[in-house]
Amino acid sequence: MLVNSAMRDRVIKVIYSALDEINSEKGSEGKLIESEETSLMGPASSLDSFELVGLVLSLESKIAEEFGVAITLADEKAMSQRSSPFRTVATMADYIMHVIEECNRG
Amino acid sequence: MFIGFLKDVFLEKADAVAIIWHGRPYQYAWLSNALEYWVGRLTSAGICSGDVVLLQGDFTPNSVAVLLALVEKGCIAVPLSAERVHERETLSSIAMANWTIAIDEEDSVSINQRQAQSSHELYELLRQKGHPGIVFFTSGSTGVSKGVVHDLARLLAKYHARRHDLRTLAFLLFDHIGGFDTLLYVLSNGSTLVVPEFRLPGPVCQAIAQHQVQVLPVSPSFLNLMLLSEAHAEFDLRSLRYITYGAEVMPASTLRKCAAVFPGVTLLQKYGATEIGTMRSKSEKQDSLWVKIGGEGYAWRVVDGMLQIKCDSAMVGYLNAPSPFTSDGWFITGDVVEQNGESLRILGRKSDIINVGGQKVYPAEVEEVICELDGVADATVYGEKNQLLGNIVCAKIRLARPEPAEQFSRRLRAHCKGRLDKYKVPLRVTLSDDLQFDARSKKMRRNLAEGAGVKNAQGAV
Repeated sequence: MLVNSAMRDRVIKVIYSALDEINSEKGSEGKLIESEETSLMGPASSLDSFELVGLVLSLESKIAEEFGVAITLADEKAMSQRSSPFRTVATMADYIMHVIEECNRG
Repeated sequence: MFIGFLKDVFLEKADAVAIIWHGRPYQYAWLSNALEYWVGRLTSAGICSGDVVLLQGDFTPNSVAVLLALVEKGCIAVPLSAERVHERETLSSIAMANWTIAIDEEDSVSINQRQAQSSHELYELLRQKGHPGIVFFTSGSTGVSKGVVHDLARLLAKYHARRHDLRTLAFLLFDHIGGFDTLLYVLSNGSTLVVPEFRLPGPVCQAIAQHQVQVLPVSPSFLNLMLLSEAHAEFDLRSLRYITYGAEVMPASTLRKCAAVFPGVTLLQKYGATEIGTMRSKSEKQDSLWVKIGGEGYAWRVVDGMLQIKCDSAMVGYLNAPSPFTSDGWFITGDVVEQNGESLRILGRKSDIINVGGQKVYPAEVEEVICELDGVADATVYGEKNQLLGNIVCAKIRLARPEPAEQFSRRLRAHCKGRLDKYKVPLRVTLSDDLQFDARSKKMRRNLAEGAGVKNAQGAV
């Protein structure tokens, strides 16, 4: 459990660093707040579809750097979930954890 | 004279709503009056039959009325939507427009004369017959837009027969042949065209719920985005009866999900090209990618795995490109298809065009912009499959001198902003020292794209 929560913290940090990059290119409006509740898609989010895809790609490469695993986030599996794993920072973190775990299990 | 069949509908349906724009209804009686007004107004401004008129607008009530007035007067209309306003001068020049009519977001109209000699042989052909025309723009493999000239007397013929009266959303653009098809289908059947505030999942779903829309014509990627955004769950969309889609290959997962989310809705694949108009097509089953295409005036054949089409409503020709027709008059679509008896499955474009959310991206145009950037030696732009957008634009870049990847990417994005439409900006950028040409000095886009496919396939396992 402890291991899991430490790992989740690392994943959240990775997400925040990706958000930082996006924020640095956004104007004063529409900056994303570093919070687990922050919406990444849908009406409440300030990301458009291109920014969302950019974020997903950036997360894939950051996860590879941080954890040494090559993962794909936007695939058929993610799309077929009943509710999208990309809704918020928290659901994204949970999904990344899940994908890394599956990847490690082989 | 050419829209007599529409005027009959307008009279018959005088009290029915033709257009809902900004939530306000405009009845057929209004449209009928507006049409008459604009015919008079255009005439007094000096616009004559055979003149080439750039019409910048969207599906606002006046845009629709002015477009019809131009047809009625026998002009050659060149519609232009807000999405392509930054290309206005280039496109006006290709079209040799001698008038510009701009209709703004408030639906105010301004008419201006433009210096140009609109003496193209295709225009002369229309003028000799006294037929109205319309010009749509597609893009060439070099990224230069091709002007597609249609004879409206021919193109309008297929709307003479009455079909179903269904409330339809104006999702496809004003300067797209699919958008024109939506408009004519609605008007010729006395139905209602519902214009959304924005072409985004939320506003589109809101418009459907609010105005009881029955037909939603979209691109597969938009459907995907809509399902992903879950905007459909926030509104009551039970009025929907048909979702029509075209413009790109539909991912099987989107089709399945869509069939599950909208159980009572019929999904219809349409097939069309700017050069030949939109054909009716019938999906074999609700969630099948196999379709039968055709309809009155259309015939098709497959030659070397590529689809060719012959039809009455084909364009007269390109303003600025060689003919895409075979010597016996078949249009070479450039689409690779699988054939099973009378059914077809469209696999995608033959060429290297990257289809991002239904929008075409030509690698050459993006490469050109990247290569303007200081320190770039070479760039190869290619597409990579993406679950969210259909495809994304990727670039493999060779730098003239070393630079940290992150710093370069930031510089590249800043450079592309304002120079390229958002959907054309590369989302994945890799730096490489490799030479990017094969033995015939052709860009190795296809190899890169295939490599990307393999990588994704492995990642997904």
